[in-house]
Amino acid sequence: MHNIRELLAGYVDGELTPEERAAVDKALAEDPELRAELEEFQKLKEVTGMAQYADLPEQVWERYWESLYRKLERGAGWILLSLGAIILIGFGLFQAFRGLYLNPDIPLWAKIGFTAAAAGLVILLVSFGRERYFAFKLDRYRRVLR
Amino acid sequence: MCTDTALIADFVAGDKNAFGKLVERHKKQAYLWALGLVGNKDDAYDISQEAFIRAYRHLDRFDLERPFLPWFYAIVSNLARSWLRRRVIRDYRSVDIDDVSYLLASEDTPEEEYTRKTLIAELRQALLRLPYKDREILALQHFRGMSYDEIAELLQIPRGTVMSRLYYARKKLANEMRHCHA
Repeated sequence: MHNIRELLAGYVDGELTPEERAAVDKALAEDPELRAELEEFQKLKEVTGMAQYADLPEQVWERYWESLYRKLERGAGWILLSLGAIILIGFGLFQAFRGLYLNPDIPLWAKIGFTAAAAGLVILLVSFGRERYFAFKLDRYRRVLR
Repeated sequence: MCTDTALIADFVAGDKNAFGKLVERHKKQAYLWALGLVGNKDDAYDISQEAFIRAYRHLDRFDLERPFLPWFYAIVSNLARSWLRRRVIRDYRSVDIDDVSYLLASEDTPEEEYTRKTLIAELRQALLRLPYKDREILALQHFRGMSYDEIAELLQIPRGTVMSRLYYARKKLANEMRHCHA
């Protein structure tokens, strides 16, 4: 059998066997601390009983599958797009490296200038994209129909 | 009506509509589980959808000998847990009294309603301060009204463990509620 205190949870929820319940009743009659604990649990149950989870509007449930399906579809699209972008960017970088950095006719200052501009553009794009992403995730009204 | 296992078998065999039926059957359940874990309806909605997406990608590896719901619940629970970890920068423990993620179970006079709303806001705040495991067991028992046997099956733990986890979770919740009052 469980520790008598742990049985209090089952006692409050009506989940004990008759033997366990009798054991708790006996302990309650003898132990005022246990009675105080039981009272606290009962109050807690009363408070939680006042609240219930809010359901979503029916129109949200009606569009649930449609919205999920779009996400599934887009997931496949994103995978293909990312794969293609990685290949193209890799190819572009390779070509740029060959055409710019390995070309002795282009002066060093032009190579440094191009590298700085490209790095700056990447940093700005990543920073802007991240900001937009978090702003969207934290937008409480993003599901409000306009 | 088809069982979950039959729908999954159909889906794995190539019937994509079977997955839609599975979603229709469990979408509200998934949302309510997530709501109990993260305490916010918008995030709960997103987590429930993400859980179905993960299930869709991994159903081909699902063991048809086992029940679907405990497996699916584990996905929802893992997503909720990582959502909570990511949100440490944001103070998700603050609760807006007018947030409608939880509703009052009954209608009262405006004064009584205000008192109840305050009490429920305190309860939500206290719940969000609890360790994840404690919140999980309380959400399933108090708000989903599940029996110990149902919780034991969902979490794949012995019934006795459900009882002892509930005892310690309630002790902590009562402490947190006292803290809120203080």
